[in-house]
Amino acid sequence: MKAPFSPYLAGIKDGLRLIIAELDKKYDYVSVLATDSTGLSARISRHSRSVSDATMTTERGIVVRVAKDGLYSEYAFNDFDPARAAEKASEIAAELDADLELLRQNGVEPYETGVLSDDPFTLFVEMETERLPETTDVKALVDDLVAISDRGCTLDERVIECIVNAQSTHVCKMFLTKNRDLSQSYVYSEGIVVPFATDGEKNTDGYDGVSGLCGPEIFDRLPDLLDKCVATAIELLGADRVEPGEYEVISSPEVTGLIAHEAFGHGVEMDMFVKNRALGKDYIDKRVGSDLVTMHEGALCATDVTSYAFDDEGVLAGDVTEIDKGILRSGICDALSALRLGVEPTGNGKRENFEHKVYTRMTNTIFDSGESTLDEMIASVKYGYLLEGMESGMEDPKHWGIQCIIKLGREIKDGVLTGRVVAPLIMTGYVPDLLGSISMLSRDREVFGNGGCGKGHKEWVKVADGGPYMKMKVRLG
Amino acid sequence: MTDRIAQRLKSSGVHAWEISDETTRGREYYFIRHRLDQNRIKDVRHIKLTVYETTDGGETIGSASAEVHLGADDAQIDRIIKDLSYRAGLVKNPYFKLNPPVVSRIEGEAPDLDGICGAFLTVFSQIPETPGEDVNSYEIFVRDVRRRYLNSNGTDVVLRYPTSMAEVIVNARSGGHEIELYRNISSGECDKKRISDTVAEAMRLGSDRLRAQPSSFSGSVPVVFSSAEARGIYEYFLDRLTPDMIFRRFSDWSLGEQICPDAVGDRVTVRTLAFLPGSSSNFAFDDQGAPVRDELLMEAGVPRFITGGRMFSYLMGIEGSFKPTNVVFEGGSKSRDEIMSGAFLEAVEFSDFQVDPITGDVFGEIRLGYMHDGKGGVTPVTGGSVSGSMNDFLKNMTMSVETISDDDMVFPRYTRFEGVTVA
Repeated sequence: MKAPFSPYLAGIKDGLRLIIAELDKKYDYVSVLATDSTGLSARISRHSRSVSDATMTTERGIVVRVAKDGLYSEYAFNDFDPARAAEKASEIAAELDADLELLRQNGVEPYETGVLSDDPFTLFVEMETERLPETTDVKALVDDLVAISDRGCTLDERVIECIVNAQSTHVCKMFLTKNRDLSQSYVYSEGIVVPFATDGEKNTDGYDGVSGLCGPEIFDRLPDLLDKCVATAIELLGADRVEPGEYEVISSPEVTGLIAHEAFGHGVEMDMFVKNRALGKDYIDKRVGSDLVTMHEGALCATDVTSYAFDDEGVLAGDVTEIDKGILRSGICDALSALRLGVEPTGNGKRENFEHKVYTRMTNTIFDSGESTLDEMIASVKYGYLLEGMESGMEDPKHWGIQCIIKLGREIKDGVLTGRVVAPLIMTGYVPDLLGSISMLSRDREVFGNGGCGKGHKEWVKVADGGPYMKMKVRLG
Repeated sequence: MTDRIAQRLKSSGVHAWEISDETTRGREYYFIRHRLDQNRIKDVRHIKLTVYETTDGGETIGSASAEVHLGADDAQIDRIIKDLSYRAGLVKNPYFKLNPPVVSRIEGEAPDLDGICGAFLTVFSQIPETPGEDVNSYEIFVRDVRRRYLNSNGTDVVLRYPTSMAEVIVNARSGGHEIELYRNISSGECDKKRISDTVAEAMRLGSDRLRAQPSSFSGSVPVVFSSAEARGIYEYFLDRLTPDMIFRRFSDWSLGEQICPDAVGDRVTVRTLAFLPGSSSNFAFDDQGAPVRDELLMEAGVPRFITGGRMFSYLMGIEGSFKPTNVVFEGGSKSRDEIMSGAFLEAVEFSDFQVDPITGDVFGEIRLGYMHDGKGGVTPVTGGSVSGSMNDFLKNMTMSVETISDDDMVFPRYTRFEGVTVA
């Protein structure tokens, strides 16, 4: 079935067009992004169970963007009566004028920017889904999640808790200008299983998840994750600490994705180029990795949680080759930054929600596959680790440092897994050194869309990342 | 509209309910150097409804929640209530009651947003800069928040308060090499002195980062945390003192029992305060309508009061619980010189310093540190990581007498861990 576009948004469209028409009399550029994203979230554990309509990206609201004399301003609100659209337009203009007066009184000058293009374009997209979060059988879902959680708590007496979370979001967005009319509707979903174990001295957890550009039907796959997650949590109780140092490692696809995202993806978000906050700016068309390294980024690169038709600035989704055989070719760019840099936007302008500003943000960030098998890669390691489980990471675009927290490493000695596990791990280093050391890539490739991405320590958005198994040299602690 | 929703709920027959009604009026300014990239205004209101239903003859209770969009009519509200009632009946938790009734409808005056915004604009425009050290960019967020909470027990409380945040990037450069440091300053209104001091200190550290050498040490060393980055260490204690963590056995701490009996260093004493000057968290009530007050949480490593959200507090039989807002950790026993003695790594700045409250794992990539060789030599370093476990560090953690303030928390200025893995 097609995910039906929001009747609420359809119903306020004429009112928003009136706002645009009124504001167009005063401003050089006017656009409106209206959102109505609904969801279902079920959080089930041994000790706490609840159901909610709120997920990471549910929202309903409107943000108006205007430009005048080189300055861009925005007004975000969620109380809108289409019958009073003209009044709302006046109110918006008056409040922005008052704010500009305050800024003038304080001697503030604008970072003068040209006018965004407003080429005519119309798009209406309703993407396919099997089920919708708003109409799914909640009882059946809750019963299934409870069964997973209950079973998880019985698989081993050391398991003290088993959290199962399932979230599904029906995203509807409408972007309007005088000449553009874009509407999209799609559903994405994600679920995780997280058992916690203790031996009285130490607490551990295992986790795995599912995600996709689809509806709650994806949660049917959650039971299959449980046994492995519990086994991991138990295995980690006996894990050693790694001897700090530099190692040959093979990253699982999930860790490969973390590296793509943290070590490189953030580094070429071009709003940082505008501020001279990214080393990547000086490396366009220069080598940043080995010949094996090719990386893509864009909403069209994969089908997962952030595979939209257009971004929050009305720019169509893209597919950018960021690195081509080790050479940095391009970053990704929101529309305003593109205007300032004199490049084309890439469809990566995203807001946390309508209340937040647009930044250049990632969508799907993926390393291309290679030619090796995992067995060949393991056999090639004299001493090192197979890294599994993505915990977290932090970007450092200015200095190209790396911080990735990895759940565990499986020891490899003379080309064979020994059975010894070290955990947890922090991977650090310098991005070009890491990418330059990549020597083997597997043929397969996976993409992961659980969790969220921050810009620094705020502005949370959905992203997906991934790639193949990847052999390289890194520093572990 | 909230009163209308409450009336519909009262006649609906649901077992219990809560309404959270929050209105935010805000201004935002984004600067590239000192030029305005963008200004934003927001005027939003969110009404969240939670319905509770009992099952199994009252032995269990479940909840479901949803946002009621502005403009919803009575029929739409009734449909939401009915849907939530059904969903709440699908999930079962041990029975608990919502917070007892409190009524407080006294709102503070509307914050002077123009005045607060003006103060931010002024302080940033007056930051002393040199060709070698300046401000790269900054973002200013100022909010007027009105929050109302009601529940079926009769609680109806209103709070109105300003909240602000500034995020600033500082550059330091020399000989064609440039670095940046990031700072985030949260407060109620504009804390001009804290902003000026924070940025000035960042610029001083920036010049050290410029000459920092890549960290080549690998092994086990003492680490002294000498900046607001240490906040993560103290949040670990707060997290593990909550009913949520203890009931679920993520934390094995309990009232009256020493958390680390074989500790030979300093032991933690912490109290929560309803009011802390300059804090962005000076609230009379928490978000579940519980009155906030001053309480001693831990004394010399012994938990004295476990407090937090309503559900697990009730299940643990804790009377008068609330979610702590401001917290003050007492200083330890050591002078600065005693803490900073011998050979150690002084860690000032991390990419993302993390302390996991469930596992106790500690991580951070070093953006700026100082290797002290114990003979007076101090070398700025960058790169590499610190890691380890609070289970180990608690045994001989030492803290300075001197404390520092970071918005809603006060904690020791210097904290020393022994045997930290540096890679």
